Amino acid sequence: MLEARELTKSYASLPAVKDVTFSLSPGQVLGCLGPNGSGKSTTVKMLTGLLEPTRGQVLFNGEYIQKNLVGYRKCLGYVPEEPNLYPYLTGREYLEMAGTLRGMPRPLLEHKIDRLLDLFTLHSHRNATIASYSKGMRQRILLIAALIDDPKVLIFDEPLSGLDVTSALVLKNLIKSLGQQGKAVFYCSHVLEVVEQVCSHLLILRKGDVIAHDTTEAIHNKIEHSSLERTFMHLVEEVDTEKVTREIISTMETR
Amino acid sequence: MIASLVRGVRQTWDAHSRKPFLQLVRLFGGRIFHGSNEGGGGELDLSLGLILSLLALPGGFYSILLFEKYATLLQWMRGQPDFDPLTAALPDEYFFIVLSMVVTGVVAVWRWDSIFPDRRDYANLVPLPILTRHIFLANLTAILFLTLVLALDVNAASAVLFPLVVSASENAFGFFLQFVWVHALVVILASVFSFFAVFVTVGALMVTLPYTAFRRVSLYLRGILLACLMTVLSTSFTVPAMVNQLPGTWVKFLPPVWFLGLCQLIRARASPSLAHLGWVAILGLGGVILAAIAAYALSYRRCFLRIPETTDVTPPSNRTRASWMARVLDRTILTSPYQRAGYRFVMKTLLRSEHHSLVLGGFFGFGVVIASQFLFAAVHGRHNELATTPSPEILAIPLILSYCIILGARFTFDIPTELRANWIFRLSLDKGRHECVPLARRVMLSLVLPWVVAVVLPVYGYLWGWRVALLQTVVVTTLSMLLTEVLLVRFRKIPFTCSYPPFRDSAVVTVLSYILGFFVFVVFTANLEYWSLFNPILMVAFVVIGLAVWYVLSQIHRGMEEIEKELIFEENATTGFELLDLQGGT
Repeated sequence: MLEARELTKSYASLPAVKDVTFSLSPGQVLGCLGPNGSGKSTTVKMLTGLLEPTRGQVLFNGEYIQKNLVGYRKCLGYVPEEPNLYPYLTGREYLEMAGTLRGMPRPLLEHKIDRLLDLFTLHSHRNATIASYSKGMRQRILLIAALIDDPKVLIFDEPLSGLDVTSALVLKNLIKSLGQQGKAVFYCSHVLEVVEQVCSHLLILRKGDVIAHDTTEAIHNKIEHSSLERTFMHLVEEVDTEKVTREIISTMETR
Repeated sequence: MIASLVRGVRQTWDAHSRKPFLQLVRLFGGRIFHGSNEGGGGELDLSLGLILSLLALPGGFYSILLFEKYATLLQWMRGQPDFDPLTAALPDEYFFIVLSMVVTGVVAVWRWDSIFPDRRDYANLVPLPILTRHIFLANLTAILFLTLVLALDVNAASAVLFPLVVSASENAFGFFLQFVWVHALVVILASVFSFFAVFVTVGALMVTLPYTAFRRVSLYLRGILLACLMTVLSTSFTVPAMVNQLPGTWVKFLPPVWFLGLCQLIRARASPSLAHLGWVAILGLGGVILAAIAAYALSYRRCFLRIPETTDVTPPSNRTRASWMARVLDRTILTSPYQRAGYRFVMKTLLRSEHHSLVLGGFFGFGVVIASQFLFAAVHGRHNELATTPSPEILAIPLILSYCIILGARFTFDIPTELRANWIFRLSLDKGRHECVPLARRVMLSLVLPWVVAVVLPVYGYLWGWRVALLQTVVVTTLSMLLTEVLLVRFRKIPFTCSYPPFRDSAVVTVLSYILGFFVFVVFTANLEYWSLFNPILMVAFVVIGLAVWYVLSQIHRGMEEIEKELIFEENATTGFELLDLQGGT
């Protein structure tokens, strides 16, 4: 369904992402992991068509997405990393705008907005401006905007950020169920436990390179570590966390 | 030795500026000028230097224009041998007082939200080991300091140039010095008065209203204050002539007249009434400063210290939405999903975003001021003539309002809002097949045509008959549509979603073209329309003009490359000069 072929993006000749290749089939939930600066967000932006790759291609159903970007985006639901919304619009107005831009018929749109606002416990705040929303509430608005048109491909960039425990649990179950419903889900996160629970496949990036890409189970087996956290640390090998912790304490205590 | 002295001064300054209190003052000063919004880069955030330069411009510019009035050679050529510069300067002195008050007042209204410490200041500063009274005093110090800077800056150019121009006919340097200090003192005090008057209004509202109610009325009140300031500006043309009628005239209630009285009082040229008003100015200034400090202290106590007890959440409104109107619009005017979503987005931004509504309100207020001047000129002693036919000034009024609203809307479209949130449009729209122009056209015309039909048609019909009313409606509608098309040439962005170039080299040309456009759109058209009432054959001129504009626009559109029509989200500043680069960039 969605395929990335040798995606490369350079900023002022410095490569942010190098030759990232993977495919995402219907029913697959692909988790994307990597430390800060590993190229996750750049990859996501190229997958959504917000950023054009310096080299390589993104294909949707075998076709280069730039050929029919609007058609591709009609099938795409996207939750960005930061909840950047128009603060003077109400939650409902924002969703109406997002749905209308997707070309949804008004009665269906209104029905879905009401239902989803209710399910995401935002109905009582629907007519308050987004400026007054907490981060978690804004995040839920973004989730509704991504889900409202029943897209075939879903791209989540840190979707749990700011969510309360209940909403986070609902979302975790939802992502699993979306996979079972045949949606293709690309899931970027720092929260390793969640990735372990919901993702069928993993893509691990480090400094713009793919260092592992397989099923979650296969990666575990390959590294022979008990948890994904240990697997991740083994692969990324970025820092000795215990040493850093000791140094922080030591610096704090300096007089 | 000098180097070591400089180093010593610098070290002392560094040591002092690192003190917590001065850090706080600097923080609050920066916040008052730059605001505290979270917007991403590229939004309308002018640098301090540019703001100060822009504020100083009007006074300096007007001073230079006055040279013709005070030049000795020109006085001699006009046959004015007994020219008294101090008497002649009275109306101009009044204008400068009004100008300084209006410019400072507009800045205070513009920075309204930044004057008081807010929720973010609370979250950042209160957890730190700082006494809250230090926060209170630091913000107060920043306000006082910036008021002084503002008052000095707004009047800096005129404080020197205006006395220089006035004293052109006098050979004595003493006259110049005397004029400088009196003029500078009065306009600076007028500025301070204006700033603190706005400050008192904010503080009084914060003290008396609940937080949510304050937020709700804030925008409307700012609009009213802007309209009041514009009205005060419009008194510049009429009030100086009425000063001689004091104390039996209403102008004694105008604060700029008090400061004019103060000016004449210091120069020992005041009539008893003006001298009395001079003392009123001093008392008024003292009163407003004291009231501002009291209001600040009370509102600080009531609002800032209670931030953790209050919620920032605006209660949801339960009003039913005018969905029937939206449906009618969807079926008749907004023909595509993009237009439907875009139209609502643009209208809500214009109504709810403070920057945008203030800018549009400013253009509208300016239009109201000019229209009131035209109305005043039309009715002044010409009641009998107007009974049968509207004068060109009367015919110009809807044109003025339409011109200012359309221009204001087009201007605000370029001011971005929440740039980082424009990803929703980037994600949904096709760069090559966008409907930016139809959307912008619908928004601009919907700000004008409803009141043209609902107000202009019946009012002109009632006063001068249906023939005049229909002609007026058709002319205003047609010209508004033409103006909209002209302003949307090469327009290829969704309003408010495109980054704003920090400074346009073409700004002066743009302002000049706005002024020229005003004369063509308003003055020329109103006169042509007036003569058409007597000689209907002249209406052909409107058809010819319309067709000519349409032809030129279509030629421009045809000559554009495809890439020039693509939707953009980033706009770079234009450069004044571009190199031909004949050597191919080598």
